[in-house]
Amino acid sequence: MLSFLFFSISRAWQGFWRNAAMSLAATATMTLMLMLLAGFWIIQAGFLASLTYVEDKVGVVADMNDGVSEAALQDLEARLGAMPEVRSVEYISKDEALRRYREERTAQGQDDLTSYLAENPLPASLEVKLRRPEDYQAVAGFLEVDPAIAKVQNIKDTTDRLISITNFLRTFGVVLLGVIGAIVLFIVINTIRLAVLGRAEEIEVMRLVGASDAFIRWPFVFEGALVGLLGAAITLGVLMGAAEPLSHFMVGFFQILPISIGSISRDVTLLVVGSGTGLGVVGAWVSVRTYLIR
Amino acid sequence: MEPGFPAGLSAANGYGVVDTRRPVLVLNDVTKTYPNGRDALKDVDLVVPEGDFVFLVGASGAGKSTLMKLLIRDELATQGTVTLDGDDMARLPRRKVPIVRRKIGIVFQDFKLLPTKTVRENIAFALEVTGTPRRKIGPAVARALALVGLTAQADQYPKQLSGGEQQRTAIARALVHDPKIVIADEPTGNLDPLISWEILQLLLRINELGVTVLMATHDADIVTALRKRVVALEEGRVIRDEIGGGYHRAG
Repeated sequence: MLSFLFFSISRAWQGFWRNAAMSLAATATMTLMLMLLAGFWIIQAGFLASLTYVEDKVGVVADMNDGVSEAALQDLEARLGAMPEVRSVEYISKDEALRRYREERTAQGQDDLTSYLAENPLPASLEVKLRRPEDYQAVAGFLEVDPAIAKVQNIKDTTDRLISITNFLRTFGVVLLGVIGAIVLFIVINTIRLAVLGRAEEIEVMRLVGASDAFIRWPFVFEGALVGLLGAAITLGVLMGAAEPLSHFMVGFFQILPISIGSISRDVTLLVVGSGTGLGVVGAWVSVRTYLIR
Repeated sequence: MEPGFPAGLSAANGYGVVDTRRPVLVLNDVTKTYPNGRDALKDVDLVVPEGDFVFLVGASGAGKSTLMKLLIRDELATQGTVTLDGDDMARLPRRKVPIVRRKIGIVFQDFKLLPTKTVRENIAFALEVTGTPRRKIGPAVARALALVGLTAQADQYPKQLSGGEQQRTAIARALVHDPKIVIADEPTGNLDPLISWEILQLLLRINELGVTVLMATHDADIVTALRKRVVALEEGRVIRDEIGGGYHRAG
């Protein structure tokens, strides 16, 4: 078994270098395709993070009646906090609401009209952040019937539209990545098929001298894996080289979005190495199989 | 038609002597019909005993190539049985096919040498890909090289060799795993007459060492001169099977 493994790997290595032109062409194709895949993956990750960022902005804002007791408020906050849909609850007191309003007016360079009023007209409110924007209705419905609540600010239509847009974009992103994946699959497999076709005579001779299927197949499979790994290594090298200037450019991007460079680079490394090796192995397997089924 | 019985099949061969040699190759009532409906072989009976030297002659399209393909199980017979060294090709499970092929050494008109490998590597290749232990490969290759007289050219590449030397390399590759039978498909088809005789001398020597040889050929001079067993095919049928025959049917 061990000697078979040694045989296959050394034959794969030999096969790769003795047909250098074909092997390097296959590796170049593999590299380009992996870059395409990795590029789209990174764009997709940023895109999904952007969608999540936007969706996080959806919350329920409920104005409260004046004169709600401290105990009733704490009870309501506790009940809200216990709901699985709720991420966080923030209480905005009347004073806080007034302060924020004044800040806003000043920032806009407009007069503070509230100073003409005898008392604070703004209601206290609860700002509820949601785990998923789809849960808007459940939380809003819960608050509407509570006696402490005067009115729930109705942003249901906006939320619904946002949800349908983000869901569409998510699906579109997945479909696009799938299409890119399929293109990469076909191009890489066809390239490897051509490389194997160029060695049809070698396979023919092996069959005629009585080589078993395993002895014919595995060197090619290892060679495919070698092409994949080499392509992955080059791709990762190029991406690492590009990462430094790019991250300068995108620092702001990563500060805002709920995404880390660490998780992206881990995912991309796994993706590139995994799909490179996988494509090489599968491509070689199916290409050699054509010659074995006879 | 000549009365010559297929040698080994019946009690008597062409010399009227009981043939007790073990048959290496038996075709029993073999018909091969291709998907396009053409009968490439029709009711072929052929027995080749161990140590025989057989010429297979016939015009192009007479069925020689199809017969060769049945022997190496590249094709299966539509009817009848093909038995090689006791193994019925039709009943052979797929994974056993390579093992049966190792009992056969095959030589082609176009040599089928790998251009990226040296003579030595081309010969060793046949052993490497059949899982022969490394320590046995070197000596076996050296023996085969010596037998075909290419020891001095061992490290050259096929394109550096003459046609005759390339064919000798191919013969060495066919012999290196000690086959029971060597099947040669027009081995002299690409060679000039002098070189053809060299190749024939080599095949005869191999035959003397006990290896059965089946050679398909168009070369009338060689067949007629050597007076070996001749099996003639015409339109897929065996029309003649005689020992000591010529290329053409005797007067």
